[in-house]
Amino acid sequence: MSKYFQVVRNTFQEYLVYRLNFIMWRVRTIIQFLLVYFLWLVIFQNNQVVFGYEKAQILTYILGVWVLRALVLATRTDGVGGEIARGDLSLYLLRPISYIKYWFSRDISDKIFNIGFFIVEAAILIFLLRPPLVFQANLLLILFTLVSIVLAALLLFGLSFLLGLHAFWAPESEWGGSRFLFNIVLEFLSGGLFPLDILPAFLFKFLQILPFSYLIFFPLNVYLGKLTTVQIFQGLVVMGFWLIVINWAIRLVWQRGLKVYSAVGR
Amino acid sequence: MRLKRTIKKYLKVWYLMTAASFSSFIINRSMSVLLLSGKFLRFIFFLLFLYLLVGQTKALAGFSLNQVVFFFLTFNLIDILVQLFLRGIYKFRSLVVSGDLDLILVRPINVLFRSLACWTDLLDLITIIPLIIFMVIFVAQGKIVFSPIGILLYLLLIVNSFVLALAFHIFVAGIGVITFEVDNAIWLYRDISSMGRIPINVYMEPIRSLLTFVIPIAVLMTFPAKALMGLLSWQWVVFSFVISGVFLFGSLRFWKYALTQYSSASS
Repeated sequence: MSKYFQVVRNTFQEYLVYRLNFIMWRVRTIIQFLLVYFLWLVIFQNNQVVFGYEKAQILTYILGVWVLRALVLATRTDGVGGEIARGDLSLYLLRPISYIKYWFSRDISDKIFNIGFFIVEAAILIFLLRPPLVFQANLLLILFTLVSIVLAALLLFGLSFLLGLHAFWAPESEWGGSRFLFNIVLEFLSGGLFPLDILPAFLFKFLQILPFSYLIFFPLNVYLGKLTTVQIFQGLVVMGFWLIVINWAIRLVWQRGLKVYSAVGR
Repeated sequence: MRLKRTIKKYLKVWYLMTAASFSSFIINRSMSVLLLSGKFLRFIFFLLFLYLLVGQTKALAGFSLNQVVFFFLTFNLIDILVQLFLRGIYKFRSLVVSGDLDLILVRPINVLFRSLACWTDLLDLITIIPLIIFMVIFVAQGKIVFSPIGILLYLLLIVNSFVLALAFHIFVAGIGVITFEVDNAIWLYRDISSMGRIPINVYMEPIRSLLTFVIPIAVLMTFPAKALMGLLSWQWVVFSFVISGVFLFGSLRFWKYALTQYSSASS
């Protein structure tokens, strides 16, 4: 356990080495938030309710997206493909360390660091912008929200790690292309740009089958109290299903990948 | 005569670099398909979002749905044009960190040209053609009101936007020489410029002024479309050219200063 704690610490130190890069990354997340925030704000200048959302609900959703970018979508696993492609994986295979736990530790570090900065940034922006927000008083809903966020973080980790393993079969730069496509799909299908229930009903229903909508849209809708208890349980079951499927797929792909791995580049 | 020779030399260098980068894309065909799909989906997703949102509310900050869509199309045109010709900035960090910039500095060619224009993106070339066709059809169908002088101003301001974007890229390259960190600086530029996907009028003060006078994303992305639709006064047109000139001048001075800080590390 202590070795993974050391990985968390090392990842922290990496951030401190490239301070300017980290500050710019944080500024970038603020800009992404502001773009969507002002877009919705101007929409509500002449409207009380849009797509069934009140102003406070949608602004809470936008702020929530920002939180979940730090807690769920922030991941270091985009480096997995590169390590496999360069042959750096060999260094881990020789050590008494689990490769997946190593990356999970890095992800934890990443999320702690991001959320720490997020709290400061959000406090400043809320003070400056003073948006109307929804403060959930139902403790059960808050509990369900927290559970869904933890499951969403695990889901994203699994999906992203699995994608990285693709490099076993594509050791050139194809994994970079698939990562780019994955990020675009993730941004849209998770509800990072807008609440998914504004889409046509058939499309929205289809998206509820896929795991992406449970990364951002589902936890935020639980928090906003827009789902019934049955819908919340249904959502948690779907998340559990996808976690099992992804966990199984990672084991399978990892075992098969190691058989074709030739440590190219080392 | 000398100028003609210089232009010919630079065109030849650019042609050779472009041929090399195109070959790379052709070799990595599956990667190219994935990247192209990603670019296409990103465009479609945001367009869908605009249609859904502005279609429901009928207007955005006083602009009609078609006007908002045209702002978005213009944003894409400028963004792709800049990416097409200045993609080399993404490879600049490795040049500085490895010390390979030395190899460019000693050659009889402009360092900025060699560094920024060394990687012409074939995928951007593929995406810009259907985009332009789509824009022409969109305008020809009369979805927005425009005048002949508007078209001329639009084209001039697109060129002006490229000059301004070039200045931003030179600033980023300068930061890269001084700090060895380029990646997030260029992505920061991409994110700030992405605020121009919608007209700058959407943003409240003081952000609107910030995006007009300090980091002139309004000049970069919003003003060309406004000029075409006859919504830009001549004072703002003059302002656009002046501020681009000032930024280009400032960026070149900064670049010269940055080169004095270059330590040729790792070479």
